[in-house]
Amino acid sequence: MAESLPGRVLGPVVVRLPPEPSLSKVLRLAASALGALGGYSVDEIEDVKIAVSEVMIALVEHGSGNEVEISLAIDADFIVRGSTESAGFDADHPDLMLCRTVLEGVSAAHGIAVNDGQAQIWATVHHTVTD
Amino acid sequence: MSNHNTADSNIINVAISDDGCIVVRGEIDMAGGPVLEAAILEREALATDPVAGSCEPHAAVVIDLSGVSFIDSCGLRALLGAARRAGAQDRWVALRAASPEVARLLEITGTTAMFRMEPVGG
Repeated sequence: MAESLPGRVLGPVVVRLPPEPSLSKVLRLAASALGALGGYSVDEIEDVKIAVSEVMIALVEHGSGNEVEISLAIDADFIVRGSTESAGFDADHPDLMLCRTVLEGVSAAHGIAVNDGQAQIWATVHHTVTD
Repeated sequence: MSNHNTADSNIINVAISDDGCIVVRGEIDMAGGPVLEAAILEREALATDPVAGSCEPHAAVVIDLSGVSFIDSCGLRALLGAARRAGAQDRWVALRAASPEVARLLEITGTTAMFRMEPVGG
């Protein structure tokens, strides 16, 4: 059984996947495992799972329909970054507002941007170190 | 009880119980949200059909969420859509035994008040 490694830099774990909704669970499982290794609490891991899911929603529902890349890492905070081709991506789409609201609730910081033909979204979930 | 579990969404099981309650088990995410929405629409159609369903004008759509282990904005969107449609007809949507995961998402999005919250056993 793997033991947790609190305080360690972990990752990035980079996953490329087709824009298939059911694969969101795969990312959540990977993020849960990484969070557990990093010593994240159950509640913090729940926040990580939601953040990962919201990043996936934004890229799959509003992206170009092409491959999505997600990066998961722990470096002080849990950092999830996602990107896809930006063709058709509307960062101000009303449906994205709910995504943003949820991300605001579960993450310490988040952002959505379109740069150099890529739609990019990121979020960080804070980890409280306990004795 | 009719089931809405589909081959490509095996992380969610949505069924309509004999008393008309929509019973959800599993994870309501990007794959599960549309499954839940289809079940809600089916239940709404029954509730407004004078032949097939209840004619009670304030009949609730009741959704049992006690078995939901994960929900994101896709799942919330399905619930909010139901709440908006119900509100437009002077009805309401009841969420029965919302799991902590559901309660948290409602809380952080400020949408709890859009639903009638029912405890276990409603």
